[in-house]
Amino acid sequence: AGLGAQPLVDTSQWLCKYCTFEKGWSGTVDLGATYVSEDSFKFGEYTGLNKKGAYFLGDGSARFRGEDANYWNIEATDLGLDSRSVSLEGGQQGAVTLFLNYKELPHFISDSAVTPYFGTGSRSLTLPTGWVPAGTTGGMSALPGSLHEVDLETKRTRIGMGVSLIPATNWRYSLNFREETKEGTQRVAGTFFFNSAQLVMPVDYVTDQIDASASYSGRQLQAKFAYYGSTFNNKNQSLTWQNAYTPLLGGATEGQLALPPDNQFHQLLASLGYQFSEKTRGTADIAFGRMTQDDPFLPPTLNASLGAPNPPRDSLAGKVDTTNASLKLVSAVTGQMQLNAAYTYNDRNNKTPQAAYVWVTTDSFVNAPRTNLPYSFTQNTIKLSADYRFTPRLKTSVGYDHDTHERTFQETDKTREDTYWARLIARSRENIDLTFKLSHAQRDQSNYVPVPEITPPENPLLVKYYMANRTRDSAGIRVDVAATDSVTVGLGADVSRDDYPDSALGLTNGSDFVLSADVSAMLTKKTSLHFFLNHEEIDSKQAGSQSFSTADWFAENNDKIDVFGVGVKHSVLENKLDVGADYTTSRSTGAINLDTGTPTATFPDLVTLLDSVKLYATYHLKDNISLHGAYWYERYDSKNWMLDGVTPSTIPNVLAFGEQPPSYHVNVISLSMRYKF
Amino acid sequence: PAEEAAAPPETPAPPAGNLASEYTEKGADTCIKCHDEDSEFPVFSIFKTKHAQRADKRTPFAGLQCETCHGPGANHAKKVRPGEKQAPIIAFGPRSKLAPDKINPVPVAEQNRICLNCHRGDARIGWNASAHDSNDVACVRCHKIHAARDAVLATATQAEVCEKCHLKERADFHKPSVHPVRFGQMACSECHNPHGANTDALLAQPTVNQTCYTCHAEKRGPFLWEHAPVTEDCTLCHTPHGSIYPALLKKNLPLLCQQCHTVAGHPSVARTADSLPGGVGGPSEFLLAGSCTNCHSQVHGSNSPSGVKLMR
Repeated sequence: AGLGAQPLVDTSQWLCKYCTFEKGWSGTVDLGATYVSEDSFKFGEYTGLNKKGAYFLGDGSARFRGEDANYWNIEATDLGLDSRSVSLEGGQQGAVTLFLNYKELPHFISDSAVTPYFGTGSRSLTLPTGWVPAGTTGGMSALPGSLHEVDLETKRTRIGMGVSLIPATNWRYSLNFREETKEGTQRVAGTFFFNSAQLVMPVDYVTDQIDASASYSGRQLQAKFAYYGSTFNNKNQSLTWQNAYTPLLGGATEGQLALPPDNQFHQLLASLGYQFSEKTRGTADIAFGRMTQDDPFLPPTLNASLGAPNPPRDSLAGKVDTTNASLKLVSAVTGQMQLNAAYTYNDRNNKTPQAAYVWVTTDSFVNAPRTNLPYSFTQNTIKLSADYRFTPRLKTSVGYDHDTHERTFQETDKTREDTYWARLIARSRENIDLTFKLSHAQRDQSNYVPVPEITPPENPLLVKYYMANRTRDSAGIRVDVAATDSVTVGLGADVSRDDYPDSALGLTNGSDFVLSADVSAMLTKKTSLHFFLNHEEIDSKQAGSQSFSTADWFAENNDKIDVFGVGVKHSVLENKLDVGADYTTSRSTGAINLDTGTPTATFPDLVTLLDSVKLYATYHLKDNISLHGAYWYERYDSKNWMLDGVTPSTIPNVLAFGEQPPSYHVNVISLSMRYKF
Repeated sequence: PAEEAAAPPETPAPPAGNLASEYTEKGADTCIKCHDEDSEFPVFSIFKTKHAQRADKRTPFAGLQCETCHGPGANHAKKVRPGEKQAPIIAFGPRSKLAPDKINPVPVAEQNRICLNCHRGDARIGWNASAHDSNDVACVRCHKIHAARDAVLATATQAEVCEKCHLKERADFHKPSVHPVRFGQMACSECHNPHGANTDALLAQPTVNQTCYTCHAEKRGPFLWEHAPVTEDCTLCHTPHGSIYPALLKKNLPLLCQQCHTVAGHPSVARTADSLPGGVGGPSEFLLAGSCTNCHSQVHGSNSPSGVKLMR
């Protein structure tokens, strides 16, 4: 219908007779096998290649193009792995679209944990019969004989479906639903006084999400109205575990942790865009949401001998209203100059009722009541900027941002931050693009006072870093050079520094420095090369006071990360044999230095090292059949003093998992055949 | 994958600069004569895309075919003597050779306007003056229009496209603790709206936390005992793309916690390497295994009546 507005062009001879529009089915099927040489959760962390052995390789895609814009797209990926996915999309283009998808996503967390507890994966962890409680882990005589391995892993399974309709020109209605289950085990810990144990937490979550929207896309006005709903359901409300230690106080033989409660979030959203004129455009977004949580409370303790009173309510009736709004106005006031103004409002209004709760310390003794603090936040941001284009090849921008954060039940009611920035984008005649940006920000708070309701109190000299006075300076440069028609080079450097001048305790400064390089080159018509390099340093300093007065210890963190990668692709025989190779290496060190004024041992660096080599070749046997072979070697090593040499009984008062930092050497060989139809 | 409400091309692309305003005699058939698979600019893969669907009246091929986007092409299609250059036509990309002027190709904003002519609604409502627009990023810098599969639209290949410019993020995803982007299991666009949003970092949801909750709804609460920075902003403790510390934390424990926790007694004590296994202080629960979380394991909030210290 809208085509009527086309200019008068005589298209009677525009027959498109050479246009090769698609019809019918086409696609590919990949079938093969892969072999992994070693068990390693870290290697297969998100892919499912975590066990030694052979795996089926199955991928495929198919598409159908019919009359009247009917179409179907089907994709299947990694069918033989725990990360498999299948998706289906189709309908009639321009009228109706349907989709259905299925995806599994594993997370292999740890394969080196051991525990004496039975019932892992359930909501109740029990010690073996014949367990002899002791004051320390070293005294637990039954421990060595009762340790068994436990894998920590989760798997997400996601099913999504949706439909969208185009009922009229410029309109679209859409309804999407997604259900995601997450099942498995994660790391948690439970304590009785200072005697703790690392525990296996059951994960059995279902999250349902619905998106319903109507959108309009007119020439002058664009609008979208939507509802978003999300419900979270946890099949386990709590985790109970038996105390492996001799209870310090009578009756503390069993503990209970609350697991994440069921909750819901519902939100109504609207977005508008309006073209006031060719030069001026405004947009607005608004979203009203409500988070609720009303799971029944657990008892304050399983220790009946304490006689702890019941909570003042049966459930929280937790309710948080969220409001998110933004307005933006953009106007090209002249051919050269554009002015931009934006305002954002984000509010989290916590309406959860307050009450005084008598609480029990680690199932061991009853405390004086504490009142819950339902935190609320309000953020207001104004951003003003101007872009000025001196020439088509030179543009500068300057901007000012003003940001305020208001908080309840926290040390300071309000922080304000002003940011000034400038940017230059230049393009030279020699095909060099350059972007340079500078910014300076100053954040101030007023009247920082420790929260009276929180006991015992924090040191009055502490200023928490996210509310502290801060100056932040940053600079970044990016250069892209199209050196020749076949070689492009990208170089970048970014530096940022934060100072907290008025923080006697806590974080006092931080900095981040990044250097990046990227080169792509078509060496010949048959050979391409790609190379990238990245170096990053993250430093920070903080101060503490063990005497609960002025700073008497200082800590410094220095992290260094290097990543380097190179890849080559080469066509040995045109349309017959393609080969390629990739090498990636990544190294990181985390150095921590503590200065307490007296000599102490120094921390070994936290170290990770990853080397990966991939070789691959594709041989086109026929027009519709090709063979693909790949060899992949990867090694990983890590040192982490939090875990190195820590067995279940190393720490007298932590019954630890005894996990060791991951390390592997894995060889992977895969062979597959692709059939094209 | 949902289809967008693209508007039909009510007006064709305006001729820019010294470009002609006369259309070809035979439309796409004229163009294809030269732009076959052996030419420098082959175009046939356009017929595998949604743009080449004549039964959908919104598409270029239901309108002025190639010239819907590339503008009137009669001049460009004229025969030239050997060694002579074709007359220019609207071409896309930063260095298009047949652009009006090699050094000054069609300005990015002009190129994008051609795309926005139809694709102006939904997620692109806020494109103008958004981060990518302000930095003169052309639509075709990320999208391949003449390709059967546009890599940026597929989860497994999207990050490679984004990382061509976002070099730091590519390095971040090679760190030991990451979201599964490098493994092709997660797309950048699950968290970000690259077409513009009035949110920090072009987040797809109004706030950081609302974005995180789309996959981590168990952290949403509200809890009876909230941990203030957790409810305010996940990125106060976590970094989203990659970290050398577990669980995408910004810093190692216990120092991360000690940036805010200084109460008299155990939280304020300097935990030195003397408390490592074999050290003079003996192995310490405050430093090893889970450090602070050996006891305070409910750092994201607790709904237990006894969870005020995040231990239940």
